[in-house]
Amino acid sequence: MLATARTRFDSVTATLPPPAWMIGGLILAILFPYIAGTGSLLDASIQTLAYVIMALGLNIVVGFAGLLDLGYVAFYAIGAFVIGWFGSQQFPDINGGKGIHILSSDRATFQLKLNGTHAEIPGIHINFFIVIFIAMAITAVWGILLGAPTLRLRGDYLAIVTLAFGEIVPRIFENSTSGLFGIGTTDFSNGRQGITPVDTINLPWSKDLVYTDLNLKPAYWVALAMVVFTIFVNRRLRDSRLGRAWIAVREDEVAAASMGVNLVRTKLWAYAIGAAFGGFAGAFLGSYNNTVNVDQFEFGFSVFVLSMIIIGGMGNIWGVIVGAVALSMLNRYGLPELNQLPIGFDPTSVSYGVFGFFLLIMMVLRPEGLLPSGRRKLELHEGETEGEDAAAVGDMSQMYEVRQ
Amino acid sequence: MEAASITETASAGPPARKLSDVINAYALPMLLVLALVAQFVHSPHDTLDDVKTGLSNGTIWALIALGYTLVYGIVELINFAHGEVFMIGSFVSVSLWATFGVDEGTSMPLMIGSIVVVLALAMLASGTLNVLIERVAYRPLRNAPKLAPLITAIGMSFILQNVGLLWRPTPDSAPDLIGSQKNYFTVFNVGIEHSDVFAVVVTVPLLIALLWFVGSTRYGKAMRATAQDPDAARLMGIDVDRTIQLTFLLGGLMAGAAGLIYALYNGTIRFNQGFTAGLIAFTAAVMGGIGNLKGAVIGGLIIGVIQAISDSGDYLGLPLGPQWTPAVVFGVLILVMVFRPQGLFGEETREG
Amino acid sequence: MSEMGETTTNLDGNTVDHSGPPVLDATGVSKVFGGLVAVNDVNFVVPRKSIVSLIGPNGAGKTTFFNCLTGLYRPTTGRVIFEGKDITAKRADIVTAAGVARTFQNIKLFKTMTATENVQVGMHPRLRSRVTGMVLRTPFVRREEKQAKERARELLDFVGLKRKDELAMNLPYGDQRRLEIARALASEPKLLLLDEPTAGMNAAESEELRRLMDRLRTEQDMSILLIEHDMKVVMNVSDHITVLDHGEKIAEGSPQEVRANPKVIEAYLGSQA
Repeated sequence: MLATARTRFDSVTATLPPPAWMIGGLILAILFPYIAGTGSLLDASIQTLAYVIMALGLNIVVGFAGLLDLGYVAFYAIGAFVIGWFGSQQFPDINGGKGIHILSSDRATFQLKLNGTHAEIPGIHINFFIVIFIAMAITAVWGILLGAPTLRLRGDYLAIVTLAFGEIVPRIFENSTSGLFGIGTTDFSNGRQGITPVDTINLPWSKDLVYTDLNLKPAYWVALAMVVFTIFVNRRLRDSRLGRAWIAVREDEVAAASMGVNLVRTKLWAYAIGAAFGGFAGAFLGSYNNTVNVDQFEFGFSVFVLSMIIIGGMGNIWGVIVGAVALSMLNRYGLPELNQLPIGFDPTSVSYGVFGFFLLIMMVLRPEGLLPSGRRKLELHEGETEGEDAAAVGDMSQMYEVRQ
Repeated sequence: MEAASITETASAGPPARKLSDVINAYALPMLLVLALVAQFVHSPHDTLDDVKTGLSNGTIWALIALGYTLVYGIVELINFAHGEVFMIGSFVSVSLWATFGVDEGTSMPLMIGSIVVVLALAMLASGTLNVLIERVAYRPLRNAPKLAPLITAIGMSFILQNVGLLWRPTPDSAPDLIGSQKNYFTVFNVGIEHSDVFAVVVTVPLLIALLWFVGSTRYGKAMRATAQDPDAARLMGIDVDRTIQLTFLLGGLMAGAAGLIYALYNGTIRFNQGFTAGLIAFTAAVMGGIGNLKGAVIGGLIIGVIQAISDSGDYLGLPLGPQWTPAVVFGVLILVMVFRPQGLFGEETREG
Repeated sequence: MSEMGETTTNLDGNTVDHSGPPVLDATGVSKVFGGLVAVNDVNFVVPRKSIVSLIGPNGAGKTTFFNCLTGLYRPTTGRVIFEGKDITAKRADIVTAAGVARTFQNIKLFKTMTATENVQVGMHPRLRSRVTGMVLRTPFVRREEKQAKERARELLDFVGLKRKDELAMNLPYGDQRRLEIARALASEPKLLLLDEPTAGMNAAESEELRRLMDRLRTEQDMSILLIEHDMKVVMNVSDHITVLDHGEKIAEGSPQEVRANPKVIEAYLGSQA
């Protein structure tokens, strides 16, 4: 059965399962919480869904457009801090201490005082479903800002610069406890302690919380809805003019430019949209984990997400999803040391080394991943029989001064 | 078709260097000098002190940067695991001293002897490790797209960090063998400590040895030939695989030495010291011009000074400090890679 | 050396009218790499509806000249005017959007895309879909994509490529060359630059290509600029030939004139010696 599934997925044109499969899969996904029961499996699944969104986002940058990005954690951080700012008591002085509340839940709006009256909770509290889109927008802008300087770079250099950005962004947050770069006095991040608590999700038309710690199912469904949205956007873009432009740019920049593709705009779109999904999921996790803390944002996380794409099969939307689920679950359950912290990838756990080993084996044996897009497999194994030809073609593009 | 214009153009030779080219060539060094002079004017004594600290700290970065530059020069790959090779050098040094029972109380001649021996052993350990990394993570992927060896190197880096974590879960302290805080003498009212002298005393001979090796021996010539054109080198009978291994060995040796100096200079070692150190040293290599040995050394010293000034917490009034230093150094990395990827002494690389 | 006449006769024996401003007017174009002068002060004109060939021994600077025209290289000196617009040193995608398309000497197809997809990429500057529309799949986008796919398949028919859904890298060599041309045509160019399009083709295929080129310029008001080594093709299809050697124009004129020009003969023979 695995063999036939593999051949079906290996076939070049079948980069997506037929509609019947998708609907079936969706139904299973919706019903999953009932099977999962309460407790850690459901929690792990919710985290996984968030990682799926991030993997799909990074897939746009790395898989479609071919831009090696080792700093994706920066966008997770930005998204998380956005909800940290717009869904918590981080800015207590706003509105004279009474806070701003937009479609927020009762829990986020009123607190019961000792004398029985209700007072408004300070800080900015905007409804989750609005904030995730604000986060998307802000992160998209930063995707462009951080991507723009990298446009002329290739390969290793590009990777390192994105890595450097991925290191700088969390540190800026960390050091912004008293203004930004020493300007002003607002505390943007609460330093190493982080922002906590963060508002829990509520539907815009309701004042009640959508889920509680005892009943996580609705949180799962919110995440699932976000994933479906992400897949939807990804598929639309992949099969569009922009999607083709991305693949053309990845394959051969000189040819792409000569066919009228504006390299700068195409790459910036990839960065913007890819980053946006990082912020999208980042905001969700910020709320779900009830804390936004710079310790959550380390280089290891960028590699974690990148591995999902590599292991799942770069460029292939379903492969990436499989990779994300596999790695996320592996990180949670597959190791003797149980990763107890719900705060995503813990860099001091043993899983770090095991991941490293995984990556090593994977790249040496099957660099195209488990379910690659037919394209990717051909690209990667081409080098084996036609090493010189491939190198020659690669060299040709250095011949031209492709101007951005 | 007028014949006159043909001969005129042909004999004019290449176009004269434009003003913009000249500015481009000197912009970076001028910027650096200006930044330093400004700080000096702002706070003269502190700046001198920071420069001293920066230069001696910079020797560590220089040694590690040499490893990056050697490897990049020959295989055009960034050895992502190089920082961990440095970390292992530190770990091995401290463990060896513990094994030999050497600490602050040991007599002087024994102490010096132990440092020399441990230095050799740590360098050897790191060198061997680097060769191993080449064999496992890079060699099998020579013809793969650049993404593959980068990922395996990251994988190796993680594995080694984990090894470090298992070896020493919490930071350990190195014995203060050189009495690092004590002053030898003072220059311009700035104290030169034991550790500063030590760093220089160890680094300079190593650098001289390395430069001699690469410049004058036939192995060094093989390395340079392979760096220029591996196919031509192969045709001339050079064993390219061996030469690459040798390069990795040398890079590892330097990193091992840096690890030892770091342990004594810094006093504390931890499993993830390689990550940040690696990035800082890589910045140094890029600043100097990746592929250029002299550049790696000068880059290391420059970055050391930048780091020291940032650590001091006051740059022209900006309240920096150690919490900002990594961001500052990475910022420098980004600026150099974007605006002058060939650094100070490098040529336009393919990626630049 | 002589310039092209106002009218010429095409392969079917009909007259083709080249009057009017030239499609392309390049003056004084040079390209210098460090110490090497690859192209030296070349003037070049492509009249309307014409097929103009650029020939010369290997290394004469022909492809370099092409690259200067299409924005892949920034010319060291000179000006390039296309349809009255100055496109000197403009970026490649801008030049293509203006109406200049090209193929490559060493075939630069998007290997892991199908033939149809390759051609669709060629249409990129003519499609108007915006990102929001793509995500929402508005009626406009749906219609445009449908039309794009149909047009792509039409173009593939036009060049005679049958395996439309095959990956570009799996196509036989002749088909790959054809695909490059179809892809170039997708942007509806006014000037088509073909870099050694018949390399590796047999006599029948070359003849087919000659007819194709002739159709393009007669039926579609296109001009074609050709780099070629196959003298049979060149002599048969060109309205005008320019000869480059060591980066300089050494001769130009009608096929008859160039064929008999002693400098040309020497340049070719000399390079073979």
